[in-house]
Amino acid sequence: MEMKERIAILENYIMQRCLWQFHSRAWDRENQNNGILGITKTMLLGEQPDISTPELKCYWVDAKCLADGFKTKFPWVNEMGKEDIAVMMDGLKERIDYVTIHGSLNEELTVKLY
Amino acid sequence: MPYHTFECSKMLPDREKHAVIKGPGEDITSALPLGNLNTVPGTITERGCAYCGAKHVIGTPMKDVIHMSHGPMGCTYDTWQTKRYISDNDNYQLKYTFATDMKEKHVVFGAEKMLKQNIHEAFDAFPNINRMTLYQTCASALIGDDMDAIAKQVMKERPGVDIFVCNAPGFGGTSQTGGHHKINIAWINNKVGTVEPVIKSKYTINYVGDYNIQGDCEIMTDFFNRMGIQVISMFTGNGSYDDLRAMHRADLNVLECARSAEYICNELRVRYGTPRLDIDGFGFDLLAESLMKVAMFFGDDCVEKAKAIIDEEVARWKPELDWYAKRLKGKKICLWPGGSKLWHWAHVIEEEMGVKVVSVYSKFGHQGDFEKGIARCSEGALAIDDPNELEALEAMKMLKPDCILTGMRPGEVAKKIGIPYLNIHAYHNGPYKGFEGWVRLARDLYNAIYSPVMNLAAIDISKDDFDTDTGFKTRTMLSDPGVPREELHTENMYTGKMDIVTPLRGKKYDFPAPEPKADAVV
Repeated sequence: MEMKERIAILENYIMQRCLWQFHSRAWDRENQNNGILGITKTMLLGEQPDISTPELKCYWVDAKCLADGFKTKFPWVNEMGKEDIAVMMDGLKERIDYVTIHGSLNEELTVKLY
Repeated sequence: MPYHTFECSKMLPDREKHAVIKGPGEDITSALPLGNLNTVPGTITERGCAYCGAKHVIGTPMKDVIHMSHGPMGCTYDTWQTKRYISDNDNYQLKYTFATDMKEKHVVFGAEKMLKQNIHEAFDAFPNINRMTLYQTCASALIGDDMDAIAKQVMKERPGVDIFVCNAPGFGGTSQTGGHHKINIAWINNKVGTVEPVIKSKYTINYVGDYNIQGDCEIMTDFFNRMGIQVISMFTGNGSYDDLRAMHRADLNVLECARSAEYICNELRVRYGTPRLDIDGFGFDLLAESLMKVAMFFGDDCVEKAKAIIDEEVARWKPELDWYAKRLKGKKICLWPGGSKLWHWAHVIEEEMGVKVVSVYSKFGHQGDFEKGIARCSEGALAIDDPNELEALEAMKMLKPDCILTGMRPGEVAKKIGIPYLNIHAYHNGPYKGFEGWVRLARDLYNAIYSPVMNLAAIDISKDDFDTDTGFKTRTMLSDPGVPREELHTENMYTGKMDIVTPLRGKKYDFPAPEPKADAVV
């Protein structure tokens, strides 16, 4: 399976199941995407994420469910090498950033206040 | 951009970007309607006003409070007072509603004196209630009555009384969403941090954005309590005024309806560092994952309890859900709720009940809500922002749905053209949250679609030439032909009790002992 296809499958999974990527402001979405997808990548690479603050722990909760979901629903994730996982997760992050922030048609993303 | 133009709105060019159809291969970067804009002149919107959003959505579910509108009497009743946000104190907030009954003379000479008299009279009439929310309306806003000053005077004159003033007049925003915003911000600015809660557990949350429609909130708080988590406050279903003043002390904000209540979660995160966790309380799969997320935030002991709850609930209720899913498979529905259910349900109702969501709409949703809803919808779904009655009629004629899931006003319109509707604002026979609740929704949806009355209702009984010996079909004749014969009796339909909420009240829970907080005063 092509990397692009794998990323599209994971993107679709996130968009149908998750809510964390849809906070109301662009800066908020950046934090969410960085925090949750960053920790998901760390976990899929078999490394220990930093969950030393309530904020990080909250990201970890969503990341843990995401990583578990990826591995359960798409068994091919378990067969990938670390290098490929890193490339895939970087590509996924880029794609989620595009769909929810840079390519978003939501005109409220740049409002300064909540 | 796959905008959809309604025939009936062709003369309103400003409406052209308010409806989209999600085509093959399209996502939210190519299919997204406008949202949260002023209603286009010429269209007959079904939106509520900002006062309504503040008071009748968010304020009034608070249970131990005198809720008073400072304005004409009609404001307090003729909006959404008919919502069924029940409470465990004999529904005080539903049984009593208060208005200052502003008249022309008050508009001319001012209504502050009359407001103060009303407040005193209300407290005198209900000596056991010493909390009040006071809502500005269009009339009191326009004449400039200083409600905050009056509230302060009364609080000084009546020690022990506390009053919250909400300045969200009807014109203060595009729709009810303007009121949601204003009351969220007013509450955190004026009330959060003014009470210290009694901490009973090591784990604490605020459960935010659930209004206890027919007991939804009580179902969820029962799960949390069984997991050893203390719910410090419910914002605002079955919520207590003073508990909500203590929101700053929770470890985590668990958010359901982000449309109406994300503001306070965001502010609690910025001001107090409390994280925000968005969850789905509907559907087996998403609810199970949501409970696990909350549990994981706190630790392994919580996770074990959550797993036990999920296993027990799924084993008990999944077969009954499947009974309905087999009979609902392929049925087309329009998911036309207020705000959050369009994204809470868009995908999971298809996955777990087998229906097809052919349209989603929201009267007051923002573009962020449509992003979530359209992301979760299947291809071909029609998404509409702030639809008017003619557009809804045209959509129903075009899509030919088997049921409309919506509120009373558009629901009655659907019934007129022979399409059944299910009330997902105030509910038919909820609660719909929780595992059992999801089965109750499936049951109500099944009843709506297969009730024999839908066939009979289409007959014009004023004529003499209709057949009296044909036309009637039982629900089994209508719903079972599509079910494989060998599967007809493998599961049961819903076997739960009518009232599943009252037995939860008064339950005792074991909480893990709290740990001293770093900032606690010694």
